[in-house]
Amino acid sequence: MKIKDAEIISLMQNPRTQEKGVRALMDAYQSRLYWHIRRIIVDGDLAQDTLQETFIKAYQNFHQFKNDSQLYTWLYRIATNEALQQVNKMNKMKKSDEDAEYHMQNLVADNTEGDAEEIQILLQNAIQSLPEKQKLVFMMRYYDDLPYEEISKIVDMSVGTLKTNYHYAKQKIEDFIKENYER
Amino acid sequence: MKEFDIEKLERKNIYKVPDQLFENIQDSVMNEIKTSKKAPVFKLNWIYAAAASLALIFGMTYVFNSDQNSVEKGLTSNAGYTIHKGEPKTEGELAYETLKSDLTSVENNNQTVVNQNTGSVDAYKNENEKTITSPKAVKVVTRQDETKMNDYLDSFSNSEIAELASNSTQDVYLDLYN
Repeated sequence: MKIKDAEIISLMQNPRTQEKGVRALMDAYQSRLYWHIRRIIVDGDLAQDTLQETFIKAYQNFHQFKNDSQLYTWLYRIATNEALQQVNKMNKMKKSDEDAEYHMQNLVADNTEGDAEEIQILLQNAIQSLPEKQKLVFMMRYYDDLPYEEISKIVDMSVGTLKTNYHYAKQKIEDFIKENYER
Repeated sequence: MKEFDIEKLERKNIYKVPDQLFENIQDSVMNEIKTSKKAPVFKLNWIYAAAASLALIFGMTYVFNSDQNSVEKGLTSNAGYTIHKGEPKTEGELAYETLKSDLTSVENNNQTVVNQNTGSVDAYKNENEKTITSPKAVKVVTRQDETKMNDYLDSFSNSEIAELASNSTQDVYLDLYN
């Protein structure tokens, strides 16, 4: 039986049931958050650590959660910040943006299932070639189907800017695939 | 590729995922939460804290002083056997006192003889004052007691005295003064 956000929040707010609440929270959101983080970071081990850190931070800072926003919006915000911190750490070790992009494409190749379609691999490489904000907007809209209003709360951008960014991101990805797809 | 619409592409997750991924994540998170949980903190009232501090100070002072007293007592008891005030005495101390009192009593007995000879009570008193440091008060034999004792002994016949003498143990020190 799927537990509702209201029940999770109620469990988390009571110190006696907080651990049960964390379990319920993880059961409800672990998959969605994992894949959100994984698409940003790509590396499996790092994504696992980042998701753990996301849940721990959610537990530690739950008193800051306000009921005026959706629970998943709040969790996405934490997860996105944690993932971007990891990416920034990785990028600091690279000499240039080209190096960083090349590194991400290598990570995609190393982490992809053996039976993955070429077009799907190309799509992931195309996403990694996008600027950070366009990448975030595209992933949350395309994969998670989040409303622009919710994405706006997660990345602190206006809905108009988000729509523009999504449009550009989509255009770049399609061009990337057209250029690189071999059939 | 000339025409491509990304919206028509199937949304797939193509990355490899380790086995038991979410179980491991949940276990790690729960372990982290349990270990990071702070130990309960007891709010200590300042009055209790002050009381506890005072109790500790007095306690330490008492223990320190009692230790010093016991050391002092030990020192004084070693210095001489004459200043005991009801404390239990060691075997050595008791032996020493017994011997000393025996000698004094013999001395006194002898002095009473001297006193009888000289008729001077002051001389006896002076000698007695010198031995006042002895813990056991030596019983002073007065003339009256002595005459009573003599009368009492005179009442015995020679055979009765001989019988009493045979029953009594001889005082070794008597030989020294006889």
